[in-house]
Amino acid sequence: MASIEMIGVTKRYESTVAIDDLSLRVEDNEFFVLFGPAGAGKSTTLKCIAGVEFPQKGLVKIGGTIVNLIEPSNRNVSMVFENYALYPHMSVYDNIASPLRSRLHRKSEPDIKKAIDKIATLMHIESLYDRKPNQLSNGQRQRVAIGRCLVREPNVFLMDEPLAHLDAKLKHTMRAELKEMQDAFNTTTIYVTHDYLEAMSLADRIAVLDHGRVVQLGTALQMYYTPGNEFVAKLFGEPEINLIDAQFYVEGGKTLISTGIGLTYEAEPDVAAALQTQEHNRLHLGIRGNNVAFSFQGGGEGWLRGTVFANEPIGNSVIMTVQLGPEQIRVVAPNDTNAALDQTVYVRLATANVLYFGADTRRYIVRHNQEQVSSVAHLRRAGREGGEA
Amino acid sequence: MMANDQSQPLASGNLRFRQGTAALSWIGRNLALVCFAVFALFPILWMVTCTLKSDAEMYTTVFNFTPTLSNYRAVLIGTDYFKAFLQNIVVAGGAVLLTIAVGVPAAYGLARYNFKKKEDIAFTILSFKFAPEILVILPVFLIFQKIGLYDTYFGLIWVYQLITMPLLIWVLRGYFEDISVEIEQAAQLDGYRWYEVFWKILLPLIKPGLVASGLLAFIFAWNSFTFPLILSGFKIQTITITSLRYIASDSVHYGHVAVAATVAITPEIIAALFIQKHLVRGLSFGAVKG
Repeated sequence: MASIEMIGVTKRYESTVAIDDLSLRVEDNEFFVLFGPAGAGKSTTLKCIAGVEFPQKGLVKIGGTIVNLIEPSNRNVSMVFENYALYPHMSVYDNIASPLRSRLHRKSEPDIKKAIDKIATLMHIESLYDRKPNQLSNGQRQRVAIGRCLVREPNVFLMDEPLAHLDAKLKHTMRAELKEMQDAFNTTTIYVTHDYLEAMSLADRIAVLDHGRVVQLGTALQMYYTPGNEFVAKLFGEPEINLIDAQFYVEGGKTLISTGIGLTYEAEPDVAAALQTQEHNRLHLGIRGNNVAFSFQGGGEGWLRGTVFANEPIGNSVIMTVQLGPEQIRVVAPNDTNAALDQTVYVRLATANVLYFGADTRRYIVRHNQEQVSSVAHLRRAGREGGEA
Repeated sequence: MMANDQSQPLASGNLRFRQGTAALSWIGRNLALVCFAVFALFPILWMVTCTLKSDAEMYTTVFNFTPTLSNYRAVLIGTDYFKAFLQNIVVAGGAVLLTIAVGVPAAYGLARYNFKKKEDIAFTILSFKFAPEILVILPVFLIFQKIGLYDTYFGLIWVYQLITMPLLIWVLRGYFEDISVEIEQAAQLDGYRWYEVFWKILLPLIKPGLVASGLLAFIFAWNSFTFPLILSGFKIQTITITSLRYIASDSVHYGHVAVAATVAITPEIIAALFIQKHLVRGLSFGAVKG
């Protein structure tokens, strides 16, 4: 029940800069995901909000109040730590009860029992009450840690990779539970993860961090459809987006894009207009594996000939890596696809879905029908807000 | 249960062989332990028998003597041994309390915070334990006489820190390093003040180490000889010094010395027996067992 704001926050550990002049604003009741690779400063950001780490520079505001000088215990935030941080000498029950027994959040023992029972059922840990943390598996510890976080009703939930050590099935249920709970509790949540599925499925908005800076801020679909640069494009989506070297040139009023893999095509007018404002003509074309069609028979107009480099079944689909001249393209294929290595295969890129990046800046330039795509990406968040109102 | 006919003789022979070696190793192990126990306990046994002998029988090496309590009467009632005993409790107990009060925060600081020359400071603290007491005792004696700490409780308690504090700091530093800082942070976020975090979370986790190193500190202080020999006079007497009084220049009352020593080790033995479980665990395991 509070918005959170960070203004120009810098946190250094000796010589390494963990977060660097970071500013972001998390709205009230928002499910906000901090996403990024290891060492991007996600956990440090959470700890600065929680107050257990002190930034060297910048302001942290919770609910409009500057909290830099407020003790962590008085900030009324609840946090799941990445390494669980369970109290080793206390039973599971006492661990979860701990926040409710503190001076600030004290409740009567029957109320505590009720609250813990409710949370434990949700987390499937009712049978573990008397165990000590060292008698639990990592997944169980993690659930206890989430339980200890959720048993309170704080202004803000801070969750540092809370599902990282759960098995895939439990992760999925838990994700749904968290999402539902967040809607029900009306609480601001900041959630750190490096799993893009988690980020996309849970987030109202995502901030992608790298080297302690916000690289891009937006909804999950914006990240996916209009990533700000190649770094973000690579983080979202499985298999990783294909980036193909290319260049464009204008010939007879047409803007032509020519790639190193033997494909040359005419850019759509909106793409052409955006490309012509660029200083350099070298590009990277970003195309996702599901926008590449493939066929084992005959080619034709627009089909490129390559060989199968690798074929990895991942359950509901097969990721086929195709060697096309100097490039390797990852293609999503149906899961009954059988391909021998080095077999000839023809692929066709859906050029309408290509994302254009500058080859030197690695920044996003444009995609076809950008307006339309980004309005769809916005819709999702708008729809959620409308639904709540 | 029926075993395979052909393999049964072989299997049972094997079993008997294995039982045999197990029994042998049990006997061997216990024999070794008994030997060690005799080796370790015999001096104590001998000392106790000495307390019960009269001076005339003192030098006989057989256990055949007429027991007498005259030594006990002479030492415990005839001299001010009890005064020294109580003063020793005050000095050693005070030294341990001061060590804990100062050492626990010091260990926490050395474990948690990064500051310049941290390792140098930690090593310097440890080096107090290496240095022979006799090396520093003369300057300390002169200084204590000047500043009026000679022959005072506080003077002894203070100087005992040299021998009691280093071990406690080093043991507890390891304990604090084992406790992840997130555990403290979690407790803060749960709504506990820093002292509540210490009492509810940290103290239970360092308890084995605290008990073990506290007991060792007590034993070091209780047994200290050089410091009270030089730094205390008539007002304060510890039992290590008092025991010496029974060795006079012309005659040695070994019976009296033995009584003094026997009474002196009693508190240590009782304390060690009570917390022997913690003692081994506290010095060999960390705070958070995996």
